[in-house]
Amino acid sequence: MHGPDIRWYVILAALLFATGALGVMLRRSPLIILLSVEIMLNSANLLLIAFSRLHGREDGQVFAISVMAIAASEVVVGLGLIVAMGRRGVELDVDKLRTLRG
Amino acid sequence: MKAAVWICLLLPLASAIVITLGGTRISRRLAGYISTASTMGSFAAAVFVFVRMLGEGAGGRTHITTSWTWLAAGPYNFGFTLLADQLSVMMMLIVAGVGSLIVAYSVGYMDGEDEERRYFAYISIFVFSMLLLVEGGNLLLLLAGWGMVGLSSYLLIGFHQDRPVAVAAAKKAFVMNAFGDATMALALFLLIQHTGHLDYATVFATSPHGGAVANLIALGLLGGALAKSAQIPLHTWLPDAMEGPTPVSALIHAATMVTAGVYLIVRAHPLFENAYVIQDLAAGLGAATLLMAGLIALVQTDIKRVIAYSTMSQIGYMFVGAGLGAYPNAMFHLMTHAFFKALLFLAAGIAIHAVVGEQDIRKLAGIGKLMPQTKLVFLVGSLALVGIFPFAGFFSKDSILAAALDRGWYGTVIWVIGMVGAFLTGLYAFRLFFIVFTGEPSAFAREHFHAHDGQEGPLSMRWTVGALALLAAVGGFLEFGPIWHPLSTWLEPVATPFAVPTHTQEWLSSGIAISAGLAGIAVAWAIYSAKRAKAPRALPLFEKKFYWDELYDLLWYRTGDLAARGLYALVELPLIAGSLQAVTGGAGLGSRELGRAQNGLVRSYALAIAAGVAVLAVVFLAAR
Repeated sequence: MHGPDIRWYVILAALLFATGALGVMLRRSPLIILLSVEIMLNSANLLLIAFSRLHGREDGQVFAISVMAIAASEVVVGLGLIVAMGRRGVELDVDKLRTLRG
Repeated sequence: MKAAVWICLLLPLASAIVITLGGTRISRRLAGYISTASTMGSFAAAVFVFVRMLGEGAGGRTHITTSWTWLAAGPYNFGFTLLADQLSVMMMLIVAGVGSLIVAYSVGYMDGEDEERRYFAYISIFVFSMLLLVEGGNLLLLLAGWGMVGLSSYLLIGFHQDRPVAVAAAKKAFVMNAFGDATMALALFLLIQHTGHLDYATVFATSPHGGAVANLIALGLLGGALAKSAQIPLHTWLPDAMEGPTPVSALIHAATMVTAGVYLIVRAHPLFENAYVIQDLAAGLGAATLLMAGLIALVQTDIKRVIAYSTMSQIGYMFVGAGLGAYPNAMFHLMTHAFFKALLFLAAGIAIHAVVGEQDIRKLAGIGKLMPQTKLVFLVGSLALVGIFPFAGFFSKDSILAAALDRGWYGTVIWVIGMVGAFLTGLYAFRLFFIVFTGEPSAFAREHFHAHDGQEGPLSMRWTVGALALLAAVGGFLEFGPIWHPLSTWLEPVATPFAVPTHTQEWLSSGIAISAGLAGIAVAWAIYSAKRAKAPRALPLFEKKFYWDELYDLLWYRTGDLAARGLYALVELPLIAGSLQAVTGGAGLGSRELGRAQNGLVRSYALAIAAGVAVLAVVFLAAR
């Protein structure tokens, strides 16, 4: 197999995932949170493809493609909501958006 | 022969079905004729069976016919079996014979009543049920008929559904009869357990002899008999049952259904002889009832209730006979009683009919002057009831009392009670007769009396009453112990009596009973007819009917009510309602507290998810 050893991929994916998770938990802007979610999704995609290559099987890559498709649609919805909030002059801070609290 | 037995049973059922399905397509009068014709057809079939049986030897008169296996449960098989023997054919003749007269009478009596068709359908069902009861070839069918006569009695007592009193009386009758049905069913369970069968022959041959089981079986059957025959302590329903139409009172609550208890004891006499304590108890309760009912009848003011108490009293005599082992005498009295009591009810019905439903004897007073024929037949019925020679009651009642003398000190005590009862019978029967049928008509009677086409009643009512009067007058000559006794000979193979009075006892009892009856009549004449003596004030004890209703109210209703209230306060509120409140309150509290976790902060949710994943990861790693 060409390229770096599999553990490098795992380390990179873990770093990306941690970055995304921290972003979701720490940042307040919904836009950044959405970006961080994308990063987490892509770290998972990276792992899927890496292991798919390692085992020489294609199903991981197929999964990666469907994750991308779903992520794209999710971003459409998320960004649409964020734009709509922005247009209405709602403050873009997730800590202020707590109408649904119990 | 077997076909006739089936026809006798099924004709009334067919009539009920036709009337019910026909609905308004058949006229009201036609419904009455269908019902009458079917009952008369039953009677003809019964006569046919009887005549054929006469031609057979005394030993071969038992005919059992099974149409199919009715109920099969494991090793137990109960066929739909009919039995025709000397005893059941006698009952068939009485039920279908007196029944057809009374149904024919109803055609006139119920004329113009709303829902005549329903009445005739019910009464056909009753005749069917009663025939099933007496023809049933095993105890299970007997119980089925037993329950069904209770049902038809309920339906007919409550025939006037718009009158709350009638509905309440119907319910009372049904509940008390259901109690008797239940004790009977328990007795049958015991019989199945110990003999594995309910066929008369098998059960009588193999049921346990003496001991607690035999006593319990007999006691259960006795419970059914007491409830059906309105004997102490299950008697309070019968006077209230007089709310039903008068022909119903005559047929069900005088002539046939209420005597079913006597039939049961005679039919199942081997079971009672296995438990002689219970059989003696039956005689004792009969004696107590005949005395108490006679006393209560003295103060009643409703003409039908007086006759109803008289019925209880006369059935008491029959229980004395059956309980003391004088089976033919009890059955003989059952037969003559069916004649003269039906006659009394139907004659009273003519009087009631003529004054548009009034039953109070104070208002009916003196109506005899307007209705001489009715007065005459009522007099015949009363004389037969009191037991004055040569009317029917003289022969049958006295033979029971004579048999009592044959049973030692216990029998003698009952004999004395029976004699007091005979005196009371004369007193209350002729109190009724003198008040209602002699003297000048009261203003009410004069005003409300209306003749029916110049006659005292419709033709169908007059000829049936006439026929019954004839039977009540001469029916007693069927048997006179000291001289001839065809009935006892006839019943001998089915129910062998063990109390057989000597001729001396017969003559002695007849003499004293007739004197007691005449004394009663004389006292009644002195007080109520000649008006020479002021009528004594009625004892509250009698007017309140010995407080039985109050006692049951106290025993069952009030205690039940109290128990229900207690359970409500001690169990319902704290335990059941309380536990439900705890459950709902706990759920509410839990969800309110849990709701705090949903604080609306997206980032805290994310943290919770991340923490959860971390915990899961640690758990998986640790578990590996």
